[in-house]
Amino acid sequence: MKRNLFKLAFALLVLCLPISCSEEQDFDQFDDLQVTPLLVSSIFYLESTEEFINASGTSESFYSEDVNFDAFNEQFVAERLLEGTIIFEVENTTSKNISFVVEFLDETGNILDTETFSIEPAPSGILTREVAYGPTGKSLDILVATSALRIVGSNLGDNSSTSSETDPKIIFRSAAEFLFELQ
Amino acid sequence: MRLSLSLFSFMLLGITPLLSQNKQLLYDFYEIPQSLMVNPGVKTMERWHTGVPFISGLSFQAGTSGVTVNDLFANDGIDFTTKVRERVLDAMSRRDDFSTTSQIEGFNVGFRGRNRPDDYYSFGIYGETDVIVYWPRDLAILAFEGNGGTNIGRSFDLGDLSVRGEMVNVFHFGINRKMSNTLTVGARAKLYSSIFQFQSINNSGSFVTTQGQDNIYRSTIVADMELQTAGANGIINILDEDTSTTQRDLTRLFAKRVFLGGNLGLGLDLGFSYNLNPQTTITGSILDLGFIYQSKDVKNYTLRGRAETEGITVFLPDDVNEIDNDLWQDLVDDIEESLPYGENSSGYLSFRPLKAYGSIRYDFGQGQSKNENCGCGINVVSGQNQEFYKNSVGGQLYLIKRPRGFQPALTGFYQKRLGRAFSMKTTYTVDKYSFTNVGLGLNFQAGPVNFYILGDNLLGYQNIAGSHYASLQFGFNIISWNDN
Repeated sequence: MKRNLFKLAFALLVLCLPISCSEEQDFDQFDDLQVTPLLVSSIFYLESTEEFINASGTSESFYSEDVNFDAFNEQFVAERLLEGTIIFEVENTTSKNISFVVEFLDETGNILDTETFSIEPAPSGILTREVAYGPTGKSLDILVATSALRIVGSNLGDNSSTSSETDPKIIFRSAAEFLFELQ
Repeated sequence: MRLSLSLFSFMLLGITPLLSQNKQLLYDFYEIPQSLMVNPGVKTMERWHTGVPFISGLSFQAGTSGVTVNDLFANDGIDFTTKVRERVLDAMSRRDDFSTTSQIEGFNVGFRGRNRPDDYYSFGIYGETDVIVYWPRDLAILAFEGNGGTNIGRSFDLGDLSVRGEMVNVFHFGINRKMSNTLTVGARAKLYSSIFQFQSINNSGSFVTTQGQDNIYRSTIVADMELQTAGANGIINILDEDTSTTQRDLTRLFAKRVFLGGNLGLGLDLGFSYNLNPQTTITGSILDLGFIYQSKDVKNYTLRGRAETEGITVFLPDDVNEIDNDLWQDLVDDIEESLPYGENSSGYLSFRPLKAYGSIRYDFGQGQSKNENCGCGINVVSGQNQEFYKNSVGGQLYLIKRPRGFQPALTGFYQKRLGRAFSMKTTYTVDKYSFTNVGLGLNFQAGPVNFYILGDNLLGYQNIAGSHYASLQFGFNIISWNDN
């Protein structure tokens, strides 16, 4: 009786370990995993008082700068970017027409893409534009080759009037929403 | 890459029968000499014992409180990304963990004092590897979903990152003393020789993207994070060299650290057994009340600070004189200055995972005196507690100190003894890993040769890939029960 009991227990314990079962596993499934996070970040913000715009005159732009911008062509971005959207917002509370030109430049200074914005004097609300890159928009190559942004703000009106708005300004906002493929 | 990932998954999720640290089958199984290692105050019956070197005590344990290998990799036709989302990202919390522990005894020897037969001395060496990784929930969601879309405004908790692991060799010496017919107490001193240790357990901080104050978005990161490592750098350097002497160098380094050439620490185990009445016994123990001072081969990594960004910002006329086309690099530099990444080699204390056991046992089914041939001195004295009972039932409580607090396990058990030759213990354990953990332990005594095997969560072996917990312990000893 004792022997039988322990034979049974031993069989349960010892034999079930090496002959333990496992459902069929397919570790190749890992290759099918899709990790595609949507990352967002602000890019560039420009704010200018109307007083400064007036002081700059109308013959030339009140702001013109080539800004080195390597965020897009970082290896991580270049290799994993699936699609992206650049969001622009322009808000004008000054008394004059304002234009902005944004040029995407490669390492040698060649212009890859251009976005132009023109906004009426206040009250003109907020001009919003979303530019898509990728399968449904412009080529992703523009983004991944971009090494600098040339931003030019110009006064298309006079250089003496002042808006009746409180603290009149021109504001240029931009942000990126990028979809990456990490796996 | 695929192979290493699969191997990692196997190790992490428990295809190999590695174990978490609860040894509920071994606890108070006093026919097995190794029960002294989980309660230095357990009742001892032997005159002396010696473990067969390197095979006297092997234990492997692994647990996952969340997803199992089968949950993810079963060939069930479900899209893998969907399984990851539903069974990992949506289902697992920051309190879920993956843990493994393994122990190998180098040797284990015990003997009863010639002049003090009430005392049973034991000593030996064992190596232990212990790793616990908490599921970094928010960081995983950030990696999977990003900070855009519906996650705008969501604060990702950087404190979700919590990991600790170590490999340590332990030299120990214990004294077990029968104070009276009803009380046995014990203590074990330990000297830890660390081979490597790493921990990142007190992290805090957050990452959040919100609507910007000026620009469209504002991203804010607040971090107080640290990864402490000791002993890892030397191993990594040898592996990186990848020369013909790599294996030899690695062996030499391990051998040196195993035998007190690495970071050292001290520890203590305490325990007792007390007979409330002839058939009822309560026991308790505290294990690894100790620390290691990590001072050699230390490399720590820190990320502390606060940074906010709304991208490149230009305010006119204030910034009109800043004619600088490297505004992007300036922005990166500002963030790095506000949130500096640092490395240092400051020593630190690492605490061993503290464990505590408690139990109550009721013996019944009186049989023959187990000690009639026992030459162990103290136990040959007839007394009401020396009777041999065939059966025992009881309950055990187990607690282990983990980085996120004490982790309990509750066990009910039944033990059957059939003479000295066989004894058997079955357990049912409830803990965070499983509600269906049924274990079975067997102890065989053939003359002086003792063999034991303890297997946990046997129901899990029906589909080991789907098991949340697996454990196996076994070993051989030579035991002397008599004066010869």
